[in-house]
Amino acid sequence: MIKLLKIELKKILPYKIFWILFGLYFFFLCCGILLAEFMINNMVDDMNRHMPIPFPHVTIYYFPDVWQNLAFFASIRFVLIFPAIIIMILITNEFTFKTIRQNIINGMSKAEFMTSKLQIIFIMALLITIVLAIGSFIIGVSHSGFTDMAIFSKGIPFILGFFVSILAFLIYAFFLAFMLRNTGLSIAIFTLYSLIIEPIISGFLRSPFIFKNKIYNYLPINTAISVTEYPAIPILKKVMGFELQRGVTFTACLIPILYSAIMIGIVYWAMSKKDL
Amino acid sequence: MFSFFTGNFLQDIVTNFRTSRLKPTNKRLHNCNLLNTILSIQSLSKRYGKIQAVNDLSFEVLQGQVFGLLGPNGSGKTTTLSIILDLVKSNKGSFSWFDSPPSKESRKRIGSVIESPNFFPYLTAYRNLQVVADIRDQDYDDIERVLKLTGLYERRNSKFKTYSFGMKQRLAIASALLGNPEVLILDEPTNGLDPQGIAQVRELIIKVAGLGMTIILASHLLDEVQKICTHVSVLNKGKKLFSGEVSKVLAISDSFELSSTDPDMLQKAISTHPLFQSFSETGLLLQVYFKGEVQPNEINSFLYQQGVVLTHLTERKRSLEQHFLELLEEKI
Repeated sequence: MIKLLKIELKKILPYKIFWILFGLYFFFLCCGILLAEFMINNMVDDMNRHMPIPFPHVTIYYFPDVWQNLAFFASIRFVLIFPAIIIMILITNEFTFKTIRQNIINGMSKAEFMTSKLQIIFIMALLITIVLAIGSFIIGVSHSGFTDMAIFSKGIPFILGFFVSILAFLIYAFFLAFMLRNTGLSIAIFTLYSLIIEPIISGFLRSPFIFKNKIYNYLPINTAISVTEYPAIPILKKVMGFELQRGVTFTACLIPILYSAIMIGIVYWAMSKKDL
Repeated sequence: MFSFFTGNFLQDIVTNFRTSRLKPTNKRLHNCNLLNTILSIQSLSKRYGKIQAVNDLSFEVLQGQVFGLLGPNGSGKTTTLSIILDLVKSNKGSFSWFDSPPSKESRKRIGSVIESPNFFPYLTAYRNLQVVADIRDQDYDDIERVLKLTGLYERRNSKFKTYSFGMKQRLAIASALLGNPEVLILDEPTNGLDPQGIAQVRELIIKVAGLGMTIILASHLLDEVQKICTHVSVLNKGKKLFSGEVSKVLAISDSFELSSTDPDMLQKAISTHPLFQSFSETGLLLQVYFKGEVQPNEINSFLYQQGVVLTHLTERKRSLEQHFLELLEEKI
């Protein structure tokens, strides 16, 4: 296992495009998180112009809500698409450069090859989650100070929930990259599906006249990103009418994990059948 | 066109082999006379849609052989090599390496160059070879040797994408030779190289073979197979036409050009030769064909005994390409 990881890091670390995309991702992530409060309050100001009793400004960086809020903003599909694109590039490159053939010829098994990619996905998801956790902690402390250990108790489920979100999202990318084997095509289809097609389908399914239950929540991308479904911002609850999420449920995590497991199974099966 | 293989590449190969190769391979050289089966293929078939790429192909490669897979483009050579390297699944048939079913461990004992050189363009040659060594469970000690052997040591820290085609091909050979594999598989190793490069690659193959490495070489060049290989299978449209020792399969019946002061006497005398087949007259020269292999000195002494003194004797070899085409046609 360590050997596979060592090989994978040797392939990735000197790759400039990887660092550029990763840098861009962190830049947008940080911008999004740091500007979120400012932007929401802008919205509030806009609304207040027509309100007899103005809404108060929101604060999203205070313990214990900061965990949930940052996990929510970090798992927006527009943000998660960045690491997914990186994963798709890393996998489809192997097909473009035909290095997967060379790896197999040199004595790697197909299963080992796929495992090495899953390892990188796992590590990348873990790394981003840790950065998010540390970031949330620092932002939380700087806004509300370190009070007691209780601040972690609400945070840990949301951080773990975010890990499930990003892991599932990256495994979807892994699935598409292995099935299509083409960089441009897999990025285009993944982006198109996750940003446009699924929101349209989900909008259709959301229509209360057709479906009474929350079936839209079971679409693969939706289910992955809605582990943290809503931010902890009471005013949005009033304006947009959704319930306040109290924690991360086990079922919310289970469905994306199930999707991921099925996709990994399909990839292993297809790779054992298909020629390289 | 391509400028590869720097001037002293060949000397490098020779000296490097002498200094560093002999120690680790001695053991293998001693085992040579045991003639273990390296590769055994039984009735392999592969179909791509309507095209039968490989059709009921069987052959065996023994230790120490330089085995040629000879056939025109599209005759199933690369498909066969892809199957035995687990890149492509066969529809029928089976194969085994080193008398055991194929596995990733058996592939670690084989060095291969298949089609184009496949490396990460953004990694340096040295790093690319590190990846190969890691996969093969080897340490990095051997990288320097194979880079020097192929004349790439000075450019080891250049990215692969900056290499010329010839250098890429040489890096592929370097990676195949990494860690002294027991078997070397080469698919059209001289394709796209300039004449000097071709000669040097062939020299290298012969040298490696001389040290006991088993080699499987796919080529559409008859001349290449004849120069390098000890054994050959001739393929056409995925089917095996001939198989055996190169000297037998590719034996060429020669003709001789003779002339004498007395042409009539010469014609009569040569007709009595036990292996005589036919002759044709072209001007003053007599073109004589024989049924089997005949040496020029044999003809000379035979005719002298008959009282004919030759004024001219030339051995004429038929062009190899012509012979190859004839071989293919005979079987169709």
